[in-house]
Amino acid sequence: MNSLIKLELTRALRNRKFLFFSVMYPSLLFLLIAGNADSTTKVDGTGLTLPTYMMVSMASFGALTAVLMGNSERIAKERESGWVRQLRLTTLPGRGYVLAKTASAAVVSLPSVVVVFAVAAIAKGVRLDAWQWLALTGVIWAGSLVFAALGVAIGYLASGDAVRPITMITYFGLSMLGGLWMPATSFPQWLQDIAEWLPTHAYAALGQAIEQSHAPHAQDIALLAVFFVLFAGGAAWLYRKDTLKA
Amino acid sequence: MTTTAAVVAFDQVSKAYGSVRAVDGLTLSLHPGETVALLGPNGAGKSTTLDLLLGLKQADSGSVRLFGGTPREAIVAGRVGAMLQSGGLMDEVTVAELVRLACDLHPRPYRVSDVLSRAGVEQIADRKVNKLSGGQAQRVRFALATAGDSDLIVLDEPTTGMDVTTRQAFWATMREQADAGRTVLFATHYLEEADAVADRVLVLHRGRLLADGTAAEIKAKAGARRIAFDLEGAIDETALRALPFLTTIDVSGATVRIQSSDADATVHALYGLGLYPRNLEVAGLGLEQAFVAITAAEEAKSL
Repeated sequence: MNSLIKLELTRALRNRKFLFFSVMYPSLLFLLIAGNADSTTKVDGTGLTLPTYMMVSMASFGALTAVLMGNSERIAKERESGWVRQLRLTTLPGRGYVLAKTASAAVVSLPSVVVVFAVAAIAKGVRLDAWQWLALTGVIWAGSLVFAALGVAIGYLASGDAVRPITMITYFGLSMLGGLWMPATSFPQWLQDIAEWLPTHAYAALGQAIEQSHAPHAQDIALLAVFFVLFAGGAAWLYRKDTLKA
Repeated sequence: MTTTAAVVAFDQVSKAYGSVRAVDGLTLSLHPGETVALLGPNGAGKSTTLDLLLGLKQADSGSVRLFGGTPREAIVAGRVGAMLQSGGLMDEVTVAELVRLACDLHPRPYRVSDVLSRAGVEQIADRKVNKLSGGQAQRVRFALATAGDSDLIVLDEPTTGMDVTTRQAFWATMREQADAGRTVLFATHYLEEADAVADRVLVLHRGRLLADGTAAEIKAKAGARRIAFDLEGAIDETALRALPFLTTIDVSGATVRIQSSDADATVHALYGLGLYPRNLEVAGLGLEQAFVAITAAEEAKSL
């Protein structure tokens, strides 16, 4: 399986468009949004400056891009082309394909998180304690697994033509409504009520709690855990259905 | 199981999609070292048979055994190399990278460079997989199927998309595999390939095995020989139709074409009618005509 992970990675790193969108794009977006913000204005009700707040949002967004965008489309396409069938004729265990995809996405998502941090620290002077940087990296990276599972589920749910629009709608919907592009506190109340239940909102909230030196809220962790079970369970069910149909 | 287990053993295997019986009570076994062609018209159940054999589909009833175990066990043990008709390839990687992956995944791999040269894809080793022509992609699939020391090689329509020269080179490579003692099973609709390459031909029709034997035996089974001649003057077709052992007759202009299960007796009776056939030819049926005759006879039976 390691050889498949290696090859998936080689391929991901070779794909400039994908690298740009998952690694560079979140940082550029961060500069665009936080660029003119002075470093003293606080985001309502958080006690965090806009650059600090948006740093976590964009790092989460970058990780989301890396794990969701690549996998769902590739899986749907490779199911259709028959590559998944071909792999079933090798010694690779059944889950190996999905695990290799997830593992390689996780490797790409790490730099996208770190680059946002570096840009925020250098360009906007965001300062945190060493433990906070480490905890943020760890939490955002681990949390991206929820969306990796979602990507796999979409890849097994959608056919080759439908996968891109479905992924895009899910991706932009989750990013915007979850408050990754602008603080959810700027939404009208009814939208805030919806946003609160989205996995992306809980995901970014984990990071923001760390920035506030709090422990993450139990509700956010529980919400993410529920979504993870839902997405991973759905992915496993769809995977099995696909295998029987072959 | 003992070591004498058949390479492939199907026992009363059936598989239906809705009301269509793709494979219907199929029983067959393949033995070590055989090169076997699986023939059949479109929709005969060839691909389903191969999918069942490789464990990609599960039979509704009956058992499929490879080397005495399940298909998956045989694959995990590295005993089976397969090339699917619909076998997609991972794109945006090079041919060499993909072949290396196949070698890494095989328990008894060959060297990557050997696999590349044997499949004739060394020159395109650095090319991206998604930039290949149809024939080149087929050769890459073949490389993947032969990345290691497997005992059984399964090929579904392997030469589709290849030009004549590439096709001949492909079969030469394939014969080397068979000569090395491997069992080779291939599905094809090019009958001349089956005729030239296979020791044994299985004719599949509507999911059932219609014929199983050497290409010569299949031809014999089909009613065998073809007689053609010209006649001068008016042709009495009714009299010709009454010839013994005649199976089909076709009269066009002065030319008569007959298929007969006993050409000697038919020709003898032809002279007995007092006729004087000119340009008389008696020849064996090609596998293609034999195949058409066998499947047509089956169609007629089922009507």
